[in-house]
Amino acid sequence: MTDVQPATVMSGRYQRAFTIAVVVLVAGWHVAGGGGQLLHNRADYASFAFQGALWLVMAVAIAVGSILVLRGSPDWRLAWTVAIIALVASTASAAASPAGQMLAVSWAWGSAGWTGVLVLHRRRLVELGWFLAAEAAATLGVQAWDGLNRLDLAAFLALLAWSTGAQIAVAAAVKALDSAADRAAAAARSEDAARERAVTAEIIQAARQSRWLALQESTVPLVAELASGTADPGDPQLRVACAVQAARLRRLMAEGDELPGSLVHELHASADVAELRGVAVEIETAGTLPQVPAPARRVITDAAITILTAARSQARITLAAVAAGIAVSFVADTGSVVLLPAADQGVAIEHQQDGGMFWAEARWNNR
Amino acid sequence: MEQQVTVAIIEDHPVVTEGVASWIRSDPEQRVLLVHTARDLTGLHGESRPSADVVILDLELSGQLVTTQIPGLVAAGYRVVAFSGHSDAMIVMETLDNGAHAYVSKEEGSDHLVEAVLAAAADRPYVTRSQARAMLSDQRPDRPELSQQELQALLLWFQGMSKASVGRRMSISENTVRQYISRARAKYAATGRTAPSKDALLARAIEDGVIKPGEIMPYTSFARAAANRPSLGAPGQ
Repeated sequence: MTDVQPATVMSGRYQRAFTIAVVVLVAGWHVAGGGGQLLHNRADYASFAFQGALWLVMAVAIAVGSILVLRGSPDWRLAWTVAIIALVASTASAAASPAGQMLAVSWAWGSAGWTGVLVLHRRRLVELGWFLAAEAAATLGVQAWDGLNRLDLAAFLALLAWSTGAQIAVAAAVKALDSAADRAAAAARSEDAARERAVTAEIIQAARQSRWLALQESTVPLVAELASGTADPGDPQLRVACAVQAARLRRLMAEGDELPGSLVHELHASADVAELRGVAVEIETAGTLPQVPAPARRVITDAAITILTAARSQARITLAAVAAGIAVSFVADTGSVVLLPAADQGVAIEHQQDGGMFWAEARWNNR
Repeated sequence: MEQQVTVAIIEDHPVVTEGVASWIRSDPEQRVLLVHTARDLTGLHGESRPSADVVILDLELSGQLVTTQIPGLVAAGYRVVAFSGHSDAMIVMETLDNGAHAYVSKEEGSDHLVEAVLAAAADRPYVTRSQARAMLSDQRPDRPELSQQELQALLLWFQGMSKASVGRRMSISENTVRQYISRARAKYAATGRTAPSKDALLARAIEDGVIKPGEIMPYTSFARAAANRPSLGAPGQ
């Protein structure tokens, strides 16, 4: 799946507006400009019906060209087919016009040029240049066939300057507007990226802050007591408290990466301290595990730390995908019931004591 | 004393073979007799192959996974207990589907291997925790449908509880726990590719009352289809 950036959508919308403007301009020119001239000079043509038919051919070419450009950038073969039909119609119209008056009564030159602009304006400007030059050369060729005098040449040059100049100007303007829209879109895109980076940085900062606060509450006072000598390292209770804090520190270092396996990773980190104590810890998973949100993971790993700290020689941790969530269980030879943290963050905890073996299961549901 | 179960060990690491042999020797009732050891499968084919009730098969011999050799061993009349360090659920399922009676991971060996061999010799289901794990992980579309009770018993067994504890947790007897787990195993024997070992396990499960013929869906539907349209013969043959 491609990720559509708002900035790209925005630039696409501008480009479509420019295309519609060109379509309206070209169709308007053909109906009002070309059509008006055709009707105005109808008495001067050898065959008005033939000129009318050519006008319709051109109208169809413009309609097809409009559909093509409104659907997106047309293939070069289609674009040039439409352009060449317009060129042929224009040349035929010039050839069928009365000699000497050809340029004065020509409706087709302008319409053909605009049709070229319509289908070629999103292509390289030089292609439109070639098309307009070919059109001018064809019209001039027809005129020369009939005999070229100074007046004809002057009229030709005047039409060339006015009509072709306007067409090239419009095509160039669309190109300039397109690139302005692209630049605006690129600027918006980099602004989006910068905003995203800022939000990510804030989240990371907040996560660090909360970890630091967690340490402040539990680990720092313990270390301070040890340092000041008020706590006795020989006291078994203090040793348990130290083991719990050591496991928490390791978990804090493992936290923060939002990977599908992060709960497994954090449980491994929580088990490290128990393993150093000589407890054999097995961790096994079954099925495709869902992603568990950080606060719920915290409740589960707290339970793990409590149970592992109480384990004497062995512990088994399993994670199983169950309907609508995950079941994380602990079996350990704790000897007695372990006081577990309260259920919280959508995590329900159950336990059972059987002889020296303690079983507990933390279930998190994603509903 | 009942007759001893004869067993062959196919294992490419001699130290593991020696370990397995010592587990067999240390069985207080001496229920299993080791008759053959080899580092590959070549000796188990042909006329002069050793006679053994059960083959303990390491799934990886000289770096090659040999799960596809299991149907050949089963066809030759051996019952296979896979013993492997590969506890990947897919490999376990493939091993069972190919006709192995049970799967025992190397960690589970000392507690379960001898018992799994005895169960295999009697065509009775034996489900280790790693096998329960593979069943719980199974997402294949053609997997058998397990009841809520069977799934719960498998889950608690996988989690590491003893069967007695599972019974207390589920408020049922330990015997019923065994029944649920064995039934889940029997349902697996009724699916996938056919193998004489799977048929034997299923027949024994029906005989022992672990499962009723009606609970094995594919078999019933085949029978029904054959009864309704005799002209089509029996599909799945």
